[in-house]
Amino acid sequence: MFGITDPAIWVGYLLALAFTLACLVYGLLNWNNGVEEQRDGS
Amino acid sequence: MAVDTRLFVAMTLVYLVIIIGLGYLGYRRTKESDDYMVAGRKIHPVVLALSYGATFISTSAIVGFGGVAAQLGMGMIWLTVLNIGLGIFIAFVFFGKRTRQIGHKLRAVTFPDLMGKCYGSPFMQYAAGLVIVLGMPLYTAAILIGGAQFITSTLQIPYTTALLAFAAIVALYVIIGGLIAVMYTDALQGGIMLVGMTVLLVLTYIRLGGVVEAHTVLAGMSDLVPEALAAGGMTGWASMPAFGSSIWLTLVTTLVLGVGIGVLAQPQLVVRFMTVKDSRALNRAVLVGGPFILMMTGVAFTAGALTNVYFYQTEGVTALAAATNGNVDTIIPNFINASMPDLFVVVFMLALLAAAMSTLSSLFHTMGTSLGFDVMRRTGTEKATMRPIRLATVTMIVVSIVLAFIMPGSIIARATAMFMGLCASAFLPTYAHAMYSSRPSLRAAKMSLATGTAAWFAWTAFVHVKESAALGLSNLLFGVPAVLSAPWQDVDPLVIALPLSAAALLVGWALDRHEVTADTEESAGAA
Repeated sequence: MFGITDPAIWVGYLLALAFTLACLVYGLLNWNNGVEEQRDGS
Repeated sequence: MAVDTRLFVAMTLVYLVIIIGLGYLGYRRTKESDDYMVAGRKIHPVVLALSYGATFISTSAIVGFGGVAAQLGMGMIWLTVLNIGLGIFIAFVFFGKRTRQIGHKLRAVTFPDLMGKCYGSPFMQYAAGLVIVLGMPLYTAAILIGGAQFITSTLQIPYTTALLAFAAIVALYVIIGGLIAVMYTDALQGGIMLVGMTVLLVLTYIRLGGVVEAHTVLAGMSDLVPEALAAGGMTGWASMPAFGSSIWLTLVTTLVLGVGIGVLAQPQLVVRFMTVKDSRALNRAVLVGGPFILMMTGVAFTAGALTNVYFYQTEGVTALAAATNGNVDTIIPNFINASMPDLFVVVFMLALLAAAMSTLSSLFHTMGTSLGFDVMRRTGTEKATMRPIRLATVTMIVVSIVLAFIMPGSIIARATAMFMGLCASAFLPTYAHAMYSSRPSLRAAKMSLATGTAAWFAWTAFVHVKESAALGLSNLLFGVPAVLSAPWQDVDPLVIALPLSAAALLVGWALDRHEVTADTEESAGAA
């Protein structure tokens, strides 16, 4: 894949990109969540 | 070197003026100890994400580990997988939110303070503070060495002057502006690093003829692997080393697992979770943090491995052969100087300076607060006062500078891995237990902290040959550089110490539960 033949390397690249995507999706989905805790915690 | 020194000096001066300005802003906004210790608990999510990332990623990650990727190849990408998966996602979502909630509720201001208050034990605060005060100067000195080496080679000034000036500038804004100054400057530095690494990635691929072309050439260079590395199990720069070989063990246990897991329990990172006002800020920070780390270590490791293609095509040698005096830390700077346009060399050098300063400032701050608040004043409930903490910060800075003059120059990546291994072994099970147990067991925490720290030191001093041979304790007591033979002497201390630390925690917890059950039954019997 992309010139890299060893699956142990390109799987690593795919996972790095997948986790980055997970961070983006999580951040977007929870953009406005978590405000209530502040009122409870204060 | 290729860089236009006058341009670099001019840009550095502008950069330093802004840094000092942000330091002054931090000073103006620091009214009480909470501001100094946890930035008033009202940091913006983008500042948090960039500060966390910039602290996480030092010059060591870019130059030191990028150099290791030039030597050992693209297998280092697995460290990026852990950096993002564990270091950002798990850290923020599973540890960060609990840390913020509990830290806010207990009014904790440092990592040891958080541990002390969670377990209701001044001992825990003192012990955690002591591990930081004793272990962190090693890592700090490595960051100082990396920064000073880079300034020396870029500006052609004496090493001693570079080291002292570098430490003094960072010390200035840490001491006066506390964590607000540290995080504001971190955010700017993170932004510069992002620009530098993005341009590095694009220009590297353009220089080498495109993504597929560059990778294909690298994959075809496997017959050029030096004999010594091939004997250790290396198979090429675009493939993993042979499973179970000494290079595989070093890559997987020390570099990938040691650094990748170690980041979860680093006190200077944990304290950042307590600087925001709610979980929403942490959710938003995840969105920035993931891509930021990908662009830092992902690019450093990829470009690092690809330097082999560049040096082979231009000089007919591998990156390791092109390193100055065989020092892998020089590969990335040599590559940048030789292959990139002058303006980018200056931008990248500024990014490296920013990376070193952002990590250093956080370490200075964490060591200072640990010594001045957790170790010297382990009362646990009293409010911190800033003067002793500032004095303690100065003390720890001096200790780190002295250590930087004593330690060898090629220690950057190793000292980073060592510190992260120590943090995970000593703190991770205890920290996780404190965050996720409704009634955390003090006995379990003490057993885990003691076992993890002792096992890490024992394996480092007597088994892991790369450190035990240098430390000399094993040779002094047993007449051999390491008491166990291969493959054990290639296994990182973390791989042994962390499971032992976790096991000790479980044993202590089980004992506590057993006693509680026995007491309950006794009371019921008596009734």
